[in-house]
Amino acid sequence: MNITECYSALGGDYESVLRRLTSERLVKKFAVKFLDDKSYTLLETAIREDNAEEAFRAAHTIKGVCSNLSFDKLLHSAETITEALRDGDMDKAKELFPIVSENYQLTVDAIKALDD
Amino acid sequence: MDISSDSKILIVDDSNINRAILSEMIGDKYDLIEARNGAEAVAVLQNQNEEISLVLLDIVMPFMNGYDVLEVMNSRRWIDDIPVIMISEESSPSNIARAYDMNASDFIARPFDKSIVLRRIVNTLMLYEKQKKLTEIAVSQIYEKEKNSNLMINILSHIVEFRNGESGLHVIHVQNLTQILLKNLVRITDKYTLSISEIAMISQASALHDIGKISIPDEILNKPGRLTDEEFAIMKTHSMAGAAMLSQLKFFTDEPLLKTAYEICRWHHERFDGRGYPDGISGDAIPISAQIVALADVYDALTSDRVYKKAFTHETAIQMIQEGKCGCFNPLLLECLSISAESILKISNGSAKLSIYDQINDIAGECFRHNELTSAKRTFNLLKHEKTVNKFFMTLSNELLFEYTTTPSVLTLTPAGARLLKVEEIVVNPFAKNGSLAKIFTTDCRSQLSELVRNSSPEKPEFEFECDLNIDGQIRHIRAICRSTWSIDDTMVYTGIIGKVVFGLE
Repeated sequence: MNITECYSALGGDYESVLRRLTSERLVKKFAVKFLDDKSYTLLETAIREDNAEEAFRAAHTIKGVCSNLSFDKLLHSAETITEALRDGDMDKAKELFPIVSENYQLTVDAIKALDD
Repeated sequence: MDISSDSKILIVDDSNINRAILSEMIGDKYDLIEARNGAEAVAVLQNQNEEISLVLLDIVMPFMNGYDVLEVMNSRRWIDDIPVIMISEESSPSNIARAYDMNASDFIARPFDKSIVLRRIVNTLMLYEKQKKLTEIAVSQIYEKEKNSNLMINILSHIVEFRNGESGLHVIHVQNLTQILLKNLVRITDKYTLSISEIAMISQASALHDIGKISIPDEILNKPGRLTDEEFAIMKTHSMAGAAMLSQLKFFTDEPLLKTAYEICRWHHERFDGRGYPDGISGDAIPISAQIVALADVYDALTSDRVYKKAFTHETAIQMIQEGKCGCFNPLLLECLSISAESILKISNGSAKLSIYDQINDIAGECFRHNELTSAKRTFNLLKHEKTVNKFFMTLSNELLFEYTTTPSVLTLTPAGARLLKVEEIVVNPFAKNGSLAKIFTTDCRSQLSELVRNSSPEKPEFEFECDLNIDGQIRHIRAICRSTWSIDDTMVYTGIIGKVVFGLE
């Protein structure tokens, strides 16, 4: 799929990201880079190990990246879990994590389906 | 928008993508350096703070967060010269306020917008550049103004002296002596609270101490022989006459300079034991300004040729004053004279220059305290030069040389040293639990080292020790020659270790 299709598949705002980054080439470049980002794995491990502080930072980083790339759907779930973790509420975070996970998978799949 | 193209920007963010996006937005107009967390940022600032023109700083980061970095930048006063723009998700008003309170210049919320990011960067750089220029202009303006008003005072005071058949050097000598003595006086006692600008003001006013002599007839003023009692009585009126001239001025009556000059004119012939003139006051009833000028006046009179006498040497003059042969002075001032003797000699034989230029520098320095680096650009450049030389030699060396600083905890190694230990050249938090040095340094070795550091002092900073290192499972015996470093200010705080490690003793 092309970049516009990719953004609608992952629930993002292509217009906004294009306006801020100013070119399709850059949007594509950074979207692809998202596949290498370790924050999601970090979040998954930290939640498994009950490390709220580490989990907060990882979720926060995901939120930051998604905001910059206008991955709105994943951004929204990352935001919710970040706030839970800020208060150190691990139970709530564990409850929220499956949604983050689902949206992360959706995002990654869409990016992987991008044409070269 | 002319911002010097050699501006270097430090991007601090724990996300690779965010750093990459910022780099791409900023483009190749500036040199960019990246740091992945707060501790790395501090290490970069530590090593090249004079080259960095701007920091883009994230808040939530591992190791040290953005606020921690700001705190270090404030305590080291790097923040005075390096603007920081916060880049963060944490854009709640309280977070923004906290960053501004810690002297951040600006705040960019995510998501990043290319045009906004660029504009903010350029604006901040321009503002700082402008501020630096303005500071320089102001400093040079003050310098000129001060130089001129000092020149005016000197010319006018010389008129009095020329009449006196003297060279006019007396005024300058007294001014210099006053300054040296006062600077040392505030060093040895807290009794007189004098700021740098008050010291400058007193030495400036000292130039007027003999203006009253304008009212003394020529034949008395320039009489080659001893004065008769009657003539001496007339001569003695010069102190009160000078004071009267100043008190009759219709203007500037509230000016501290005028008040000080009045004190000096009136009381620079008083004695600490109360046997001077015109008022016969004693002890600290005599203002400190007048006490100091009296001492300076006597010293210069002794060491100069006069119509009625030859000059005494510096040593003789000091001795005569200390023995109470030329008046009676405050014991504190006599102590001050002994410790000032060497600098006085240097000034009087011309091997050192002082005078108004020093004062102006002092004052300019005080006005622009927060911009010390700008007003001391030369020192700054020297330091930069020294660092470059240091870095160069470090790179050339085949030895394991190191520098360790405590705050932030950063270990810098020579490239050769880093290869030998199989670690990076700059290691942040080297001794933390997962730090790369934790494995290498055995516990035994570490306790030995901390014991030695504890026993070292600024007076005796060197020490040596031997121990085993564990490099990738291989045990190697080493000897380390070290020197602990201490802060330069009065607090004398332990700041780190420098040293050399020698291998191959096994």
